[in-house]
Amino acid sequence: MIKLRGIAKSFGKQEVLKGIDLTVEKGEVVAILGPSGSGKTTLLRCINYLEKPNAGEISIDDFSVNCRKPAKKDIHLLRRKTAMVFQQYNLFRHKTALENVMEGLVVVKKLPKEEARRIGAELLEKVGLADKLDAYPSQLSGGQQQRVGIARALALNPEVILFDEPTSALDPELVGEVLAVIRKIAREGITMIIVTHEMGFAQDVANHIVFMEGGLVVEEGPPKVIFQAPKEERTRQFLARYTSDSAYSI
Amino acid sequence: MQLDLSFIWTAFVGLLPAVPTTIRITVVSVLSGFAIGTFIALCRMYRIPVLHRAAAAYVTVIRGTPMLTHLLLIYVGLPLIVDGLAERFGWAFRSVQIPMIGFAYISFSITAGAYFSEIIRSGLQSVNKGQLEAAHAIGMTTPQALRRIVFPQAFAAALPNLSNSVIGMLHGSTLAFTVSVVDIFAQAEIVATTNWKFFEAYLAAALLFWGLTILIERLTALLEKKVTRYNRGGVA
Ligand SMILES: Nc1ncnc2c1ncn2[C@@H]1O[C@H](COP(=O)(O)OP(=O)(O)OP(=O)(O)O)[C@@H](O)[C@H]1O
Ligand SMILES: [Mg+2]
Repeated sequence: MIKLRGIAKSFGKQEVLKGIDLTVEKGEVVAILGPSGSGKTTLLRCINYLEKPNAGEISIDDFSVNCRKPAKKDIHLLRRKTAMVFQQYNLFRHKTALENVMEGLVVVKKLPKEEARRIGAELLEKVGLADKLDAYPSQLSGGQQQRVGIARALALNPEVILFDEPTSALDPELVGEVLAVIRKIAREGITMIIVTHEMGFAQDVANHIVFMEGGLVVEEGPPKVIFQAPKEERTRQFLARYTSDSAYSI
Repeated sequence: MQLDLSFIWTAFVGLLPAVPTTIRITVVSVLSGFAIGTFIALCRMYRIPVLHRAAAAYVTVIRGTPMLTHLLLIYVGLPLIVDGLAERFGWAFRSVQIPMIGFAYISFSITAGAYFSEIIRSGLQSVNKGQLEAAHAIGMTTPQALRRIVFPQAFAAALPNLSNSVIGMLHGSTLAFTVSVVDIFAQAEIVATTNWKFFEAYLAAALLFWGLTILIERLTALLEKKVTRYNRGGVA
């Protein structure tokens, strides 16, 4: 179980997160929705400490980090327990698809190369890239790169995978293949927190929806409630705008 | 003036014994310049307190003054410092025990460090910061991420400029003759004056440097092919 308590983050004078509380049960898929600038990316980045929160507590099961005075070793441990799939993929450009997935296994988990290779090949097969093991990122389409990114995150066997708009940099015709992979691993019971603007996808893959605005959680609940009968006026307005102009389906 | 073609060959052969000296000076200054340059670049990029200011000062002073002045200042100044310290702490070591080539090693390393640091810095800056973040996100420590992810890409990006600087250091190594090191150029002087055939001797030296330069260019091309393999091809 992942628990965030009072996560706060400012950039200079601008308060971007104003005390976020969030609990994610094991195996749950949480979708975070919200308008641009509401702090969604910042929240994800705080969870694996790519951004340093000013205050709050992040706990995963019985491990916890106090963000006011984190120990270096705790930050490192937190990063090992979480994985991130980036909007811009951020694959290691000088490594092949297989090497990208193996990197964390060999360097962080200290597995023997052979075993890492076996696991890496298995994971790439799972995301439908069995024929691209030796391709460099520059030789892959955006959708393929993002699937490698997902395999790389899975390799570490993290407690939670964080997705930051995993399909928003993709051409529309490539979105489906990536969402299909995320859907597939969601079914395997991996805990995920997904920031997305794909409402249809959020609705059918998530067990829990969080609506953020202005650095606060405005409303949260099961997809049925949030999408069909939101309590807050702001949520309603936001969803109305999105459901009217999002034409995509999967 | 009569050009003695066959003497060019004789001079060329006469220069060969000095080749190892030139190569040694170049290799030492390039390698330690690379190490110094990396350290300086990291100090400046990560704005390490105090050190980054010292690093910036080092770079502007060294790049703002000719290589020959570095050599002469080290040649004159270092013995004063060494002997001063030796007297103070009662060491047996004296500056006369420093071999002449040692002055060239030290001063050219200092020169190369400043030039290389700027090249390495721009190489490091060319690596997208998402690369470091992705490495952190999979649990690598910063030193691991730098060594395995950032440096290899920065090196590939910096290679053409690095190669130019290596060539610059090779040619600059000729200055070592001013502190009586017998490199290729000093040897050409010797061959020229003993035979009274300056033009031929200098021409032979020029050919030799040109050959070494081509060698560096070839090696760079090979290395570049290897380290930038990942950049070629591509859908995206
Ligand atoms: N490194 C930074 N330095 C300064 N301000 C930042 C930084 N990162 C984010 N911000 C600011 O924090 C606010 C929240 O940004 P964030 O990226 O978290 O929003 P978001 O909800 O992910 O938006 P989007 O849907 O557009 O991705 C924005 O106003 C942004 O300008
Ligand atoms: Mg964002």
